[in-house]
Amino acid sequence: MTALLTTSVGSFPKPEYLTRARTKAAKGELSSDALRDLEQKATSEWIRFQEEIGIDILVDGEQYRGDMATYFAENLGGTEISGLVRSYGNRYYKKPIVVGELRRRGPISVDWFSFAQSQTDRPVKGMITGPYTMMDWSFDEYYGSRTDACLAFAKLLHEEAVALEAAGAKYVQVDEPALSTRFDELPLLVKAVGIVTKGLRARTVLHTCYGNYNEIFDYFNKLPVDQLDLEMSNSGLDLLERFKREPLKKEIAFGVVDVHSHVIEPEALIRERIEKALTIFQPDKLFIDPDCGLKTRSVDEARDKLRNMVAATHAVRQAHGLT
Amino acid sequence: MVKTTVVGSYPRIGDAFEEQALRRGLARLDRGEITEADLRAVERDTVKTVLKEQNEAGIDLVTDGQISWYDSQSHIAGKLASIEINGLVRYFDTNTYYRQPVVRGAVSRKGPLIVDEWKFAQGSSKALVKAVLTGPVTLASLSLDKHYGNKKALAGDLSSAIGEEVGDLVKAGASHIQIDEPILTQRPADLSLVSESLDRIRGHKAKATLTLFTFFGDVARIYQDLQDVPADILGLDLVQGAATWPVLAKHGSSKPLVLGVIDARNTKEEDPVAVATKVSQLKSAVDLKTSYLSPSNGLEFLPRDRARRKLRILHEAARVVGVAA
Ligand SMILES: [Zn+2]
Repeated sequence: MTALLTTSVGSFPKPEYLTRARTKAAKGELSSDALRDLEQKATSEWIRFQEEIGIDILVDGEQYRGDMATYFAENLGGTEISGLVRSYGNRYYKKPIVVGELRRRGPISVDWFSFAQSQTDRPVKGMITGPYTMMDWSFDEYYGSRTDACLAFAKLLHEEAVALEAAGAKYVQVDEPALSTRFDELPLLVKAVGIVTKGLRARTVLHTCYGNYNEIFDYFNKLPVDQLDLEMSNSGLDLLERFKREPLKKEIAFGVVDVHSHVIEPEALIRERIEKALTIFQPDKLFIDPDCGLKTRSVDEARDKLRNMVAATHAVRQAHGLT
Repeated sequence: MVKTTVVGSYPRIGDAFEEQALRRGLARLDRGEITEADLRAVERDTVKTVLKEQNEAGIDLVTDGQISWYDSQSHIAGKLASIEINGLVRYFDTNTYYRQPVVRGAVSRKGPLIVDEWKFAQGSSKALVKAVLTGPVTLASLSLDKHYGNKKALAGDLSSAIGEEVGDLVKAGASHIQIDEPILTQRPADLSLVSESLDRIRGHKAKATLTLFTFFGDVARIYQDLQDVPADILGLDLVQGAATWPVLAKHGSSKPLVLGVIDARNTKEEDPVAVATKVSQLKSAVDLKTSYLSPSNGLEFLPRDRARRKLRILHEAARVVGVAA
């Protein structure tokens, strides 16, 4: 029995040489080929690191992405990219604008998946920014309806999911950080994610984070994926009590380290969190990962957090005689 | 003729290098390369730009764009006694975040909240500058209350604090005060709390005009009761809150309105003539001469260039309403 497999949510921090290169490329002082070489170098480094510390299911680290919604929109027809909009504090991002009928011009993330998978024998997850989040984070000048725009994204992202599977992806993850934005739209989200995952043989995962889980709890078992990937350490572990009463009928990837804190959680603390999770979930249905993408941490912080996470998981496996 | 106004916030930066002084300033303050005083100077330059852009678009009643506000909650709550500021929480259904106020004891006003900001803005503007404050009931709802244990009591003390601020704003010369209560579009049952709160604030406003603004949704279910709140003007989001339209058209309004008809959350540009035609349908139900057209909520959810275009559309729509009347 495989038990307590370790994985990651998606993004890793970019090394300094890549951050500098991106700034240069934005100013036109570096060619896109030269930038791509460095993105590949950073991706290979992250793949090697994940192998070294013994992570079971890898991610490509998203070294080639700026914003997760903008990256997908840039590679679709029918979109433009807006000027800067504030998120909070001094953080700004560019939003997609839907200006015409959405079209998939070709693969979006498949080449990066293939590159990452070519570097390792372990499975690498295929990563898709979900249709609801794409809709919610875009301006819409064309569809005039949140439902229509969301379902249009869903159809194209299904094509992307099928292409990832054809390229060899054993896991396809749909990221929906906007999931808990409007509770009255949860049925729309369920429908849209269902379109994306329809007919896939790959194991499907849905990641969300920082929402009011109590409000969305009733939808967990309705989400059309095999596995839910939830931020658990930051929200406190209160949710566990609820899972005890109302069992999850899916696999769970259980976030055990906080991605917004500089503090490196000690191995013992992470072990405790995993032990708590084991009181509720079967070990073969329980996956261990960070709360969310680690891209806002420094490279060293991200590495230390992942190292402790894997060490803690291995210790728990050993204590329970799991392989 | 119908006048024009804005709701409050405005994009702090644009996409051109020279429009990003505030972003650079904050980054340099973080790195310790400039002082707080240096940053205040950059903020004030940005406020002047924001006032100039509203002025060039021909807006009648403007704001300072809330340029120095970290967010709509912590900027006000953070200056009150017994409130600490915590981590980030999603702001309604927007993809933006506010730092959550945590109430640790009895809340009171220690000193001015936005009086200096308002004075500077009015001193730099030809048009009248509206003073905008986050409403006590929204503040109470979005805070983490570790002291009162009931929203009514917390909202009561917050209302006293906001009331004192309104008194000082009026003494400083403000003639237009706006209280934002977006929570009413999410929790219509809070209307009685908002009414009590405005009752307390109203005592401090002297001859100033007091506006209650609701946004991020409709107020259709409470529209008729809303007519009775102790405010002089009602501000309505008629885009995300389009469901308020039919009720408004049917029952009219005994108070002047701010009609939030320009979508401040989408870049899609309205046809000013179509907007004007729709607004003109209200002419027998609402006194358009004392009312205003506005964006549906603060403009900071749009890129700066799009916000500028929305202001021009707003002004043009108001002009067309005027010609028709
Ligand atoms: Zn996340």
